[in-house]
Amino acid sequence: MAIRYWPMAGAAVGFRLVLVLFGGDLHLASRPEVSTPLTSLRRLAEGYWLKQASVSPYSGSMYHGSPLLLSVLGPLTSSRPDGHHAHIYCSLIFVAVDFLAAMLIRATGHELEMARNRSLKSLDLTKAVKDTVNVSAGDVASLIYLWNPWAIVTCVGSCTSPIENLMVVIMIYGSCSRLAPLAAFGYVMATHLSLYPAILIVPVILLLGYGLDAPPPKVFVIKGSIARKSDVSDNDKTSRQRVVQQFSWKPVLHFIFWLFIWSCHVLLLSSVILKKVGGLHEMFEKTYGFILTVKDLSPNIGVLWYFFAEVFDFFRNFFLMVFNMNIIFMVLPLAIRLKHRPCFLAFVYTAIVAILKSYPSAGDSALYLGLLGLFVNELAEMQFTFFLFFGYIGVSLLSPVMHNLWIWRGTGNANFYFATGLAYTCLQTVLLVESVSSMIKHDRKLRLLVTS
Amino acid sequence: MKSLAKQETQPKSRLIVRLGVFLASHHILFSVICCYAGIIALLLLPSLAKNTYLSENALIPGSANPLFSTEDAIEANRFMKAIEAVARDSSSVIGMANFIAQQIEDLGAEVCYQKFLPHGKNFHPLKFFTSMTNDIAIQPNGTATNFGINTIGILRAPRGDGKEAIVLVTPYNSQRVQSNELLSLALGFSVFSLLSRAAWLSKDVVWLSADSQFGEYAAVSAWLNQYHNPVFLSHSVVSHTKMYGANNIYDGNSEKTEATAFKRAGTMAAALIFKVGETRRYSDRDSVTIYAEASNGQMPNLDLLNVVHYLAVHRQGFRVNIAAFSSLLSSAWLRVIAEILHTIGSVLRKINPDWKLDIAVPDYVEGTANLANSMYNQALGVPTGSHGAFRDYQVDAVSLEFSPTFHVKNENAKSLFLLKGGRLIEGVARSVNNLLEKFHQSFFLYFLTGPSKFISVGVYMIPFALLLAPLPIVAAALADGSRSMEKTADKLIGDGKTDGIADISQNKGGSWKWLRAAKVLLVVQLWAVLVSLLPYYITQIPDATPTQSTLIWVVLSIVVLISLSVLFGSPYSTGVEWKLLKATMITSISIGLGLMSIINFATAQLGALIVIPMCLFSRPLKASGMNFLPRAVLLASNVAFAVLGFPPVALLIMKGVSKGSRSWTIDVGDFWVWMEFLWERSSATYLYLFLVHLPCWLLCVLVFLHPCHQSEYKLKQE
Repeated sequence: MAIRYWPMAGAAVGFRLVLVLFGGDLHLASRPEVSTPLTSLRRLAEGYWLKQASVSPYSGSMYHGSPLLLSVLGPLTSSRPDGHHAHIYCSLIFVAVDFLAAMLIRATGHELEMARNRSLKSLDLTKAVKDTVNVSAGDVASLIYLWNPWAIVTCVGSCTSPIENLMVVIMIYGSCSRLAPLAAFGYVMATHLSLYPAILIVPVILLLGYGLDAPPPKVFVIKGSIARKSDVSDNDKTSRQRVVQQFSWKPVLHFIFWLFIWSCHVLLLSSVILKKVGGLHEMFEKTYGFILTVKDLSPNIGVLWYFFAEVFDFFRNFFLMVFNMNIIFMVLPLAIRLKHRPCFLAFVYTAIVAILKSYPSAGDSALYLGLLGLFVNELAEMQFTFFLFFGYIGVSLLSPVMHNLWIWRGTGNANFYFATGLAYTCLQTVLLVESVSSMIKHDRKLRLLVTS
Repeated sequence: MKSLAKQETQPKSRLIVRLGVFLASHHILFSVICCYAGIIALLLLPSLAKNTYLSENALIPGSANPLFSTEDAIEANRFMKAIEAVARDSSSVIGMANFIAQQIEDLGAEVCYQKFLPHGKNFHPLKFFTSMTNDIAIQPNGTATNFGINTIGILRAPRGDGKEAIVLVTPYNSQRVQSNELLSLALGFSVFSLLSRAAWLSKDVVWLSADSQFGEYAAVSAWLNQYHNPVFLSHSVVSHTKMYGANNIYDGNSEKTEATAFKRAGTMAAALIFKVGETRRYSDRDSVTIYAEASNGQMPNLDLLNVVHYLAVHRQGFRVNIAAFSSLLSSAWLRVIAEILHTIGSVLRKINPDWKLDIAVPDYVEGTANLANSMYNQALGVPTGSHGAFRDYQVDAVSLEFSPTFHVKNENAKSLFLLKGGRLIEGVARSVNNLLEKFHQSFFLYFLTGPSKFISVGVYMIPFALLLAPLPIVAAALADGSRSMEKTADKLIGDGKTDGIADISQNKGGSWKWLRAAKVLLVVQLWAVLVSLLPYYITQIPDATPTQSTLIWVVLSIVVLISLSVLFGSPYSTGVEWKLLKATMITSISIGLGLMSIINFATAQLGALIVIPMCLFSRPLKASGMNFLPRAVLLASNVAFAVLGFPPVALLIMKGVSKGSRSWTIDVGDFWVWMEFLWERSSATYLYLFLVHLPCWLLCVLVFLHPCHQSEYKLKQE
């Protein structure tokens, strides 16, 4: 399947520009699926206004984002041309940000492809596996990211999710191409903006330490033992040794060093910005505290708002701990099982975060669906793809209808909307389980091919 | 090695998986059974109807003695005589409004006017979906000559806090005054004057005499729009005098200009629209017809209907009707079905006395006629009266149309009628006045099979669910079938190759093959979206007749279709399998019908009756592997569905059937008029027709014309 990449990418960017410039006000910013209390640009404008009035931007529980965004995007929100989208300048920036993210995903895909070809070559499986696939993973992934309706809606719908997504993509790209400073920058910024990417430290360290995705080490060991029996030349052996690498500490230490430097920078800048209007303590309380304690119970596509609206106050702290630990619990087992594929591990973590985070939005899903495209060759035999595809379409159409039924027509109630959220969570879980299991199946097949 | 791999990847399947596989392998039988069961369940609905009951205890209708006395009736008569004189004298719109305002003011109530312009024929099919608050009330400017005037009287409740209000509406046409409309105004005024003296009132009462020269709905919705969307003018003083002050309503009477400001009461608890219709002399009793269907199949809370019905029948002795399809009442085949169901029901009753399905034949026929009308009105998505405007703001409202049996000149009978009507309205207002919360206890989702019989959502979901049930099963069976076919084909091709490679290439993109079919589906959907948006541009053309507009629409649609197929490649060029195409179509249709059943259930129910057989029967012309007879039957049904399923044809046939006209003149312009009717009222049925039905029809045609030479194509590719 030949994909004309550039026309498609250009068309996607053009489509976004058309929506931003001529789409009028689509009221996307008021949709709970698009903007959350953390990412809403309207809240950012309010925070900026408060700050200009020499009041803490965090007062009044309006703004919960980073002070850096406040000083970068804030000035753009105050000017509002007539007859246009309310936040047109910000939206133009988001279009550029989305394009940049797509380019970085593409570059990451090329890196992954090269690594894959290397490892397949060293296993002498190039012919056997090449027969099935002739798609460039990077192109597919970046096109999925560019043409994903949710990414488009997020980009046009005035919320800061595209920037958060870009930071995660920068981190993954940086660690795939072994640029420790870049990876550290992406990591620090992503964590600063939305906290949850903090768990991505595991795949980043694995990527820097072990290198890119490869078949499990066991396969190389089996190949080695077979090769020893049939007595191959020295040339092959050396190439194999290069693939099975030991954990290298140098880039990891480099990364940690830069991590420290960037963190200091971010904290310093934040404290400078917030110097007269509150301090870092308030920032942590109103951003990270707000994320972790689920203070805002307005409906979103996740499941936590409904649960915490129903739960007795007495148990609230207990369940806060349970739900927050839920993400942490999955980090270690997955890292052990998928340590040979750190990039895929990063995808799995982003998907888990998108399911379990306290204020999820369509933008989070756009990110992990884009990353899913990076593994299109490995996941060619994934099951239930038909069901998942139409399930995602159905849920994304159902959600606004249920919201309308509940809020505007008054014939439905909160359970209707929550049911959509539940169905959405189930779909995401099925996608995650299926992708992980088909990745494991793929590895097993490689082993079988090697032994045969 | 191969067997080892299979053992590893395919452990013994679970019961649910085996059940799914079993259903998929018998999908034809399953879908036939489900479709028949769905249709039978639909026919059974009238016998499953339950009697209505009052859920909200606070309503207690009829517990207090009505205060509306003969004196009030005399007052109404006096009002009527006076307004008749005014209507005869004054030629302009203002005279009557002025008189009504004067009368209201004499009662000591507040009064205000609202000027409004008729609605333009705007194209806003998605309006039902966006919130109503985004609208800004259109204010008539000083230059407009053709405008209507609503007169609004507001009673502040002596015991209330002014947070809630009851709305009474009497529409009248200020341009062409008729005696029955004057009678309804008189009724409204006498009730209002009674309520102005009532000590028990705890909610404000708003009496809107709506100027229906542009239609009742336009007047009421214009008032509601201004009521809910206040306009904040930065330079209010100047524009106020511009808008109202210079007008001749008050003839320069400056002290009353403060009355011109728009006045509001609290949130509306309920609204009652009543009008006196034409007199009917052949009936023995005065009757009331209830209209309740609002836009997109929304209904007022059933308790409101219950209160009206209870008071009308048990207190005032009215005969209560709901609108029915009169042609069904005399149809022979319905009678036959009723007989059969009655026989089966009586047999079932002998088995278990609790099964009360043996409904009497006339009851069944009447129930079906009412149900058909109720479903049709809900499915159309266009409100049956001005109560629809209230439902857009989540206010429960119902229209009552009185049909008196007396002659207008008969004073005695008129007084009696006014007494009964006034007591009914007073009773309803009193019940609503008792409410502590919004209407919420009873049903919002129901069909009516009689004035006091209803079918709730839990029952009427069953036929739809049965009709929808085969779709996922058939889609799964088709997708699975195409995969197995693929496997055999690939084995034939790849016989010569080595084992290991064949093992992988067997699944060559196996689970992603539907992407091509999905691409076709997306292109078709894109086309449908473009076609549904075309009228926005066509309406901009000045002075186009409906026939011209229809032709432009059709030509543009075809042009768009051709250009899309040039842009994305013709649907068959990528070698998409018809089974996958059909599976994709069925999945998309089940999503579409599911969504529509949430937005407007009746549309989805009626649409499913056409779309689901069309989908399930669709089969390529050139597909092989069947005997002559079943194949011929399938082909014939395919062609029939392809013709009948095309929306314009379906609508024209429906028009012929519903009108019962012998003259089958085909007027293309009718289609445009129909569609205009739908999108003007922002009916979701328009969207259903163009975003669900039309793409499904096109995909069916694509499946029907599928060339079916997959294996050749594959071989060529190899």
